Amino acid sequence: MIFRAVEDADLIQRAAKGDVEAYNLLVSRWEKPMYNYLLRIAGNREDALDLTQDVLLKAYQNLGKLEEPGRFAPWLYRIAHNEAYTMFRKRRPETGVENVEPRRTETGITVGGSSVFPIELSLSVASALGRLSAEQREAVVLKIYRGFKFEEMAEILDCPVSTVKSRLYTALDLLKEELAPLEARGVS
Amino acid sequence: MSCSPFDLKDFLLQELADPQRLQVEAHVQACRSCRLELDRLRLTQTALSCLRDEEIPQRIGFVSDKIFEPSRWRRWWAALHGSAGLGFASAAMLSVALIVSVATRPAPAPRVAETAKTVSDDEIRQRIERAAAAIDARYAQRTEQLVKDIELRDREERRASRAMDEMQIDYLQRNLQAANRRQYVASVSDGGPR
Repeated sequence: MIFRAVEDADLIQRAAKGDVEAYNLLVSRWEKPMYNYLLRIAGNREDALDLTQDVLLKAYQNLGKLEEPGRFAPWLYRIAHNEAYTMFRKRRPETGVENVEPRRTETGITVGGSSVFPIELSLSVASALGRLSAEQREAVVLKIYRGFKFEEMAEILDCPVSTVKSRLYTALDLLKEELAPLEARGVS
Repeated sequence: MSCSPFDLKDFLLQELADPQRLQVEAHVQACRSCRLELDRLRLTQTALSCLRDEEIPQRIGFVSDKIFEPSRWRRWWAALHGSAGLGFASAAMLSVALIVSVATRPAPAPRVAETAKTVSDDEIRQRIERAAAAIDARYAQRTEQLVKDIELRDREERRASRAMDEMQIDYLQRNLQAANRRQYVASVSDGGPR
């Protein structure tokens, strides 16, 4: 908790000057959210871990190019998005970027086992997310699970805010139909 | 189709400015279909929150590289500014203050000064140590209190949030089970499950 008081911006500045320990502290803060983002878009743990390592190494090598330390998060996720899609393209070079689908060897999603989050509900959510397109799922992950603003999402995904909103809102409509069906509420 | 003056999803995701948010709140109070729509969106959001982040299977760390390694001066400077350097900085500041105080004090008579010098060296060291220890203790006490307060607040917030989650999830589960039953009945009446 005390370590948390040290701002990321300070660590970034120190790491940019070559302080590896400062960067390791930064990594310890970001590795888990980054791994989970990549897990949900790549669909399996092995790829997610490899990509996380690549992303954090690439970020370290390019830290000097980050002009605003306050924008570290979108900058880091932009690298992650690019690395993930580069990997998808290598695996399926004939496929266009818009059609890229992550491998689905695993669900890529941890289902809850606690009393608060019953497993059947977690499975329903995992299944509903799995039915979204890769772009819709990524929009949901960035907004709902990582809490980015629309402008930041547009920067990460390199597309207009209107496109980001359209992907996310279509995804939310689809998820709503599956997870909170109208018929079940007795309303038709 | 919602008749709300602003998008209900923008409202749900807290993307509206205060005046717009108030308009939506007022509209939702009056409009049943928008209230139901917002209710469904909230349930969807709650359901999505069921999926928790996994722990990373292997921690990531980088080893120091000579090319990037900071100079000795920068490491010293970083250490001074770090939390561990707080006590050292306090002691250093006290030392400076005491040295300045001693240096600017009018010189006493030579005989007395000689005795005073031998006494004051020990005394100064002891005073510095005592003052530094007192500062450290004060900081430790304050930090401990701060951590306790934050943890208490965090526990209370979690408890409240957990209670709310439990209510919503129970409701969501019942809805999903009802939907599944309905789907099953429909498939049976269409010619039985395949």
